[in-house]
This record gives sequence, C-alpha cells and structure tokens, in this order.
Amino acid sequence: MNYSQSFAISATGMDVERLRVEVAALNLANANTVASADGKGFQPLRVIAQSALGGQSLDGGSFASLVGQGLAGPSSVVEPSGRPMRSVLDPGHPHADAQGYVTYPGVDPATEMMTMLVASRAYEANVVAMNIARGMAVKALDIGGAA
Amino acid sequence: MTAPFIPPIGAIQEPAFAVPLAQPLAGSTAPAPTSFGDLVTGGLQKVSEQLNASQADLQGLATGNVENLHQVMLRLEESRMSFQLMLQVRNRLLESYQELMRMQL
Repeated sequence: MNYSQSFAISATGMDVERLRVEVAALNLANANTVASADGKGFQPLRVIAQSALGGQSLDGGSFASLVGQGLAGPSSVVEPSGRPMRSVLDPGHPHADAQGYVTYPGVDPATEMMTMLVASRAYEANVVAMNIARGMAVKALDIGGAA
Repeated sequence: MTAPFIPPIGAIQEPAFAVPLAQPLAGSTAPAPTSFGDLVTGGLQKVSEQLNASQADLQGLATGNVENLHQVMLRLEESRMSFQLMLQVRNRLLESYQELMRMQL
C-alpha cells in the first residue's frame, strides 16, 4: 500500500529525532559524573544522521522503488563528540589529581537543550507529514462517496 | 490492496448478486479461478490480521513492552485505514446491490 510507505518515511525521521533526544538526555544525565584520575570517564555523545539518498536526482519511479525498499530514510550513528573535559578545582575530592583538580565530561547544557528543542520540533514536523499523508489517503477513500 | 479489489467489480454482474456477501462463510463453490467471494474473504482476512497485530501492539503498550511508541501509533493508523478501505468497498457494493434491487423490470 502506498500510504504505508510514506508512513515508513516519517517513521525513520521520528526514529532519528528520538535518538537525538535520548542521546542529549544521556549527556545531561552524565554531565556531573566524575572522571577517574587516569582520565577515563563519560564522553559526551552526539548523533550523526546521514541520508541514504545522495545528491543524485531521481525520477518518480526510482524514488518509489527506493522508498519501497526502505532506503530513502536517514540512518544515524552515535559517536563521541570529542569535547574537551572540564576541570574543577576541588582539592578535598577523592578523585582529585595531584594539583587538586577533578575532571568532568565536557557536556554543555545549553547545547544539549538546543539539540532537544530542535529534535522535538523536527519530530513534530514528521508527525505532521505523516498526518497529512494519512489525510490524503482518507480523502482518497471519499472519492465517489456521498458528499 | 486496492488493486485486487478493482477488477472484480466488473465481474460482479455475472453471478447472482446476493451471493458475494453470503459466500465468504459458505466457502468457495464458484468454478471461476478467483471468485468474488474469495477476494472478499481475502481482503477481510488481511484487515483482520492487521487489527489483530495492532491489538497485540496495544497489549505490549499496556504491559510496557514497547520500545517505540510512534511505531505502534503508525501501525494503529495503518490498520484503521485498511479497515476504512474495507468499509468503503462494502458501502459501494451495498449501494450497487440496493440500486439493482430497486430496478424496475
């Protein structure tokens, strides 16, 4: 069925945005965890989403077949964002190093907030796209019906 | 799902018109390769399968075994749409049947 394909496209978008929110929540949850003295601790993560469709142009038929194989949606990878660790002077802390500094992961709360906000809006946009596809299908069922 | 429904509408005219709605329960007695009753039965079975699947999804939702809320909602929508498609097909059939019954000979 045709409309289930457009549902599936919107679902892949929703998957990616939900992953973004989950990763941002994970970063925030681990924002104040201490790294051990040898520097092993939480690394802030970020989501890299990539579209399977490159820059190539497609005609309608090949696009439909790509969608049918489930290849049109984005795929996403979670990887460390590589932000530098944050050092806080706290000499009494059990995990403090020789100079009295404790290291925390370099999580930026403002960035995470922005990520979640943008992801939530994009999720909404995917829901709207899905609802419009559904509305069109419902309208198609009205063809020939008693107006 | 829409495609298999469309051609048999032309073939309706040949058998007695009241048969198609009663046939799904009686089984396939028609000698035709795909009788209209079979088509209706197949469509109904598909709709019923989808409804069952969404019921299983809802059960998972109630017991907390859901990893993906939007997938559940999408499947619910899909089963609702196929149910509506079935309903519309039934409405059209019933309409034409009643039209025939009202025909003056």
